[in-house]
Amino acid sequence: MTAVHQPSPPVRATGTNRRRIAVVIAIVVAAMGFLVVKGLGDATVYFLTAHEAVQQKDDLGTRRFRVEGLVTDTVRPAGDTVEFEIISAGIRMPVSHRGDPPELFKAGIPVVLEGRWSDDGSRYQSDEIMVKHTNEYREQNPERTDDYVGKEQA
Amino acid sequence: MKTRILGLLAAVSLVATLVVGWRLPPTEEQAGYARLIAVHPALAWTAYIAFGVMALGSLLYLLPATRSRKWDRLAGASGEVGVVFTALMLVTGSIWGRPTWGTWWVWDARLTLSALMLALLFGYVALRKVDMDVDRRAIISAVTGVAAVLVVPINHFAVTWWRTLHQGRSAATLAPSSNLDGSYLRAMFLGMVAMMLVYAWLLIHRIRLERLEEENRGADLAVALAERRAEAHDGAVSGAPDGGAVVGS
Repeated sequence: MTAVHQPSPPVRATGTNRRRIAVVIAIVVAAMGFLVVKGLGDATVYFLTAHEAVQQKDDLGTRRFRVEGLVTDTVRPAGDTVEFEIISAGIRMPVSHRGDPPELFKAGIPVVLEGRWSDDGSRYQSDEIMVKHTNEYREQNPERTDDYVGKEQA
Repeated sequence: MKTRILGLLAAVSLVATLVVGWRLPPTEEQAGYARLIAVHPALAWTAYIAFGVMALGSLLYLLPATRSRKWDRLAGASGEVGVVFTALMLVTGSIWGRPTWGTWWVWDARLTLSALMLALLFGYVALRKVDMDVDRRAIISAVTGVAAVLVVPINHFAVTWWRTLHQGRSAATLAPSSNLDGSYLRAMFLGMVAMMLVYAWLLIHRIRLERLEEENRGADLAVALAERRAEAHDGAVSGAPDGGAVVGS
């Protein structure tokens, strides 16, 4: 906008120019790195694992945090809550969830929960379940899709 | 003509991806939603590649030995086409997340960095629209393009380095037995080929358009100069009422 239009001299990268570009790049890179490390601080510890949550129960108190673990086959509805256990590194953690679990929720899958330890510390009170599906893509009921597989391999 | 063949190939492979993806059998974990493996990772990879080409063009422009307008055009076009793929990656990911995770969005490392990718591209494209000297703009854009690509390796390994709701890398190893049945792996790579072809097709057209715009700008300037000269000449002959007014103001 303020630039006066004049034919700019062709930019031949002299030694000074090249150094200047290098300095600019270095500064931008450093700034980006700083922002990523700093800004991601929260995102990098997106959740605790169940055994960490159990170990740190006293420190955590009744603060909200996210926790991850594998749902054991203990799922049972109880009124307007769902009771189950999650497990990680052999440590079990009882959970009482208020609300409807998502469609894919079932025993044997990893989940990330949002909530807090109950006042007496006996269980984790969750109000949000996120199903953390893995990168396993295994066909279910292979016999039902034999036709498809046959064609695929033909 | 060659571009038309490329476009045709892109369209055919895209349709093939949708058909193969749709016919994928349900998986143990995700039931029918696993079909999205044909589309979503391919969009993400192509977004990465768009970033890579943007950075490569930028680098070639920055190096004095290879400095040429064409590298600036390549970088700019790739950044712009990259917006499409990055946005579609976010949209399909969100659609996939709703039924499987139970949420449209979370701020874990992978998703946050993916959002950052789109923000960086928007910034880059906006920068290229700033009205300034073409060579100066090309240098500033190139430095930005090279810096912006750093987000790609960080995002790629985010699911390994940090705890994320997002799954780990699907094709960390290429052996079908590792975590993917063969049909899912094939659908994923077919999708990858299709998206790459679409990307290449869009890229070529965008570069052409940019070149035409540049030529046109040059032509516009020449025409405008000629007109001003003609006006000045006419004014001088007829006593310059207009010119006088300008001087007086």
